[in-house]
Amino acid sequence: MRRARSAGPVPRLLVFALLGVVVLSSCVGVPPPPAEARIVIFHSNDVHGKIDNFAKVAAVIEAERKSGADVLFFSAGDNFTGDPVVDRYEPPGEPVRKVLDRLRLDVLTIGNHEFDYGLGTLRKLAARFPTVSANLEARPGVFPELKPWVVLMTKSGIRMAVFGLIQIEPVSGIPSTHPDKIKDLRFGDPLAKALEMKTLRASGEVLIGLTHIGYKQDLLLAGRMPELDVIIGGHSHTRIDPAELVNGVLVAQTGADNQFLGRIDLRLKDGRVVEKSGRLIDLGLMRDEDKKIKAMIAKFHRNPALARVIAKAPFEITGKDDLGSLMTDAIREAHGLDIALHNNGGIRLKSLPTAITLKDIYTLEPFGNLIVEIAMTPDEIRSLIKSSFEKQDEIDLQVSGMSYLIRTDGNQKIKDIKLSHPDGSPMAEDRTYKVGLSSYVASSYRFDHQDPGRSLQTTVADDLIRYLQSGVDLGVYRNVQRAFWEKAAESSRD
Amino acid sequence: MQIKVNEQTIEIFAGARVKDVLRKYSHAEWTLVRNNEKKVSDRYGHEVGLDGELNGDEELVIEARDAAEARS
Repeated sequence: MRRARSAGPVPRLLVFALLGVVVLSSCVGVPPPPAEARIVIFHSNDVHGKIDNFAKVAAVIEAERKSGADVLFFSAGDNFTGDPVVDRYEPPGEPVRKVLDRLRLDVLTIGNHEFDYGLGTLRKLAARFPTVSANLEARPGVFPELKPWVVLMTKSGIRMAVFGLIQIEPVSGIPSTHPDKIKDLRFGDPLAKALEMKTLRASGEVLIGLTHIGYKQDLLLAGRMPELDVIIGGHSHTRIDPAELVNGVLVAQTGADNQFLGRIDLRLKDGRVVEKSGRLIDLGLMRDEDKKIKAMIAKFHRNPALARVIAKAPFEITGKDDLGSLMTDAIREAHGLDIALHNNGGIRLKSLPTAITLKDIYTLEPFGNLIVEIAMTPDEIRSLIKSSFEKQDEIDLQVSGMSYLIRTDGNQKIKDIKLSHPDGSPMAEDRTYKVGLSSYVASSYRFDHQDPGRSLQTTVADDLIRYLQSGVDLGVYRNVQRAFWEKAAESSRD
Repeated sequence: MQIKVNEQTIEIFAGARVKDVLRKYSHAEWTLVRNNEKKVSDRYGHEVGLDGELNGDEELVIEARDAAEARS
C-alpha cells in the first residue's frame, strides 16, 4: 500500500472517507487506474482472542508483500472474547490490537464481540485501524473513529471502496452482546443499509463488503447487490473453501479461531475486476513464523493479570456445595435473577484458595459457558431437577435463590421434589421465576420449559469474577447446603 | 428460536451457538463431533465452527468426516 510505513494513529493507507471520495472520483486530480493490476487480500474473522497463529499469518503475508503484488489484510470482526489471555489482559484486548498493528491490518469491521470490553476499548482499536460499519450509528462524539465506509488506494493506484456491516438479532434488533455495552449506539438493518452503499461503485475500481452478519445473510446480500466484487464475511464461523461466486459476487469466510487465513486474488484490467478467486490457507500446516510476533505472543501468554489476586477468602472454599453456592449466587446477582442452577460437572476445582486469582476462576469454570435466562414454573424447575438427578443418580444441581429436597423410594425412584424459598417457605406454584442456567445445562438436560430462553451474553466465569471483585463476604461459603436428598430409609421422619 | 439439525427442528434459546444445538439434538452425535469423528455443515455444505453463532432458521447437517479429515 502507498504510505505503508507511516506511523502514528493516522492510518497508513490513503483513506478518502465520507463524501469526499465521490467528489474525488470525478475530479481530474484522481489519476486513472493502471492498465493492469494484481491484488491479494488476506483476511481473517472470528479470531476470538486466539492469537497464536498470527505469527504464521505474518509470515504468509510478508512473503506475498515481497512478491510485488498489491497486498492487503482485512479483518471481518470478532477479534475479541474467547481466550482469557486476551480477555483479561490489562487493558483488555491489548494483545490483539498490538499484534494486528504489527501485521499492518488495513481495515476492519466490527463484530458483536468487539463491544464486550466496552466502547472505550473498541474506540482504541478503531483509532488504530480504519474501522467500518454502515448500519451502526452513534451520537456525535460517542464513536468518532467509526466510518460507514472507506476508500483505500493500493500502491499500484487501484481505489478500493470497503463498507462494513454488523449482525443484529431478529427479535431484539441489536447485536449479540450484553445490552449495557451498546446503550449509546443504534443499529439499522444490515441489508437495507448495504443497498444504500451501491453508489460506492462509482468511488473505486473494486467494491468490497466487509461484513459480520453470517454466511446466510452474506448470500442474501450477494443476491441483492451484484455491484459488489467481494464479500468478506464473519460471525457464523463458516469455512468456505474455495470462496464461491454468488450472483457474480465472490463470498468468503475463514471459519473461526485463527485456524485458517483467507486469501483472495483479484486481477484487474483497465480498472475492472476481470478475475477473482479465493481459498483458505490451513495455518496448522504452515511452518514459517515471524519470530518477533511469536515472541510478542509468548509474552502476552505470560499475562500477569491472570496471577493477580482478585479476592481473599477467610478459608479455602471447598467442595461442590460451597463452590456451587458461590457460583450460583454470582450468576443470580449478576443478572437480577430469582434462581440460578449450576451442574456439579461444571465445577472443575476441588477448592478455591484463600487468595483467589483469575487463573483459579478459569480453572474452576474453563468451558466459557454462557448464562441463559429461562422463565420457569415450579413444576418446570422440578422437571429440570428430576432430569439432573436421574442423569447422575445423585444430587447434581447446585442452586441459589431457593433450596430443594428430593425424596426417593427404596429403588431410588423420585417420589417428590419439594421447592422452598431461602427462608424455608414454599415456592408459589402459580407464578414463574426468572431462572439462570449455564448454556450447557440449558442445552444438554432434558426438561420441560415453555419459554425457550435467551442468552444473557456473559459467561459463568465473567459473573463469578465480577461477584468476587465486588467485595462480597466469602466467609458464608462454608458448609452451605441447599440441595437435599431424603432416601426411603429416612422417610419415616415424614 | 428454531434450528434444523439433520432435518429435525430443534427449539433452542435465543443466542445459542452451534454446539448448544448439537447437544440438544443428540448427546451421542455431539460427542462424535466433539471428538472430530463427525463434522457439522450448513445447508450449503460448508463446515461451521462449534462456537458459530446462530440467528434462527439455520439448517445444520451432521456428517462423518473422511479418514484424512479425522486425522488432521
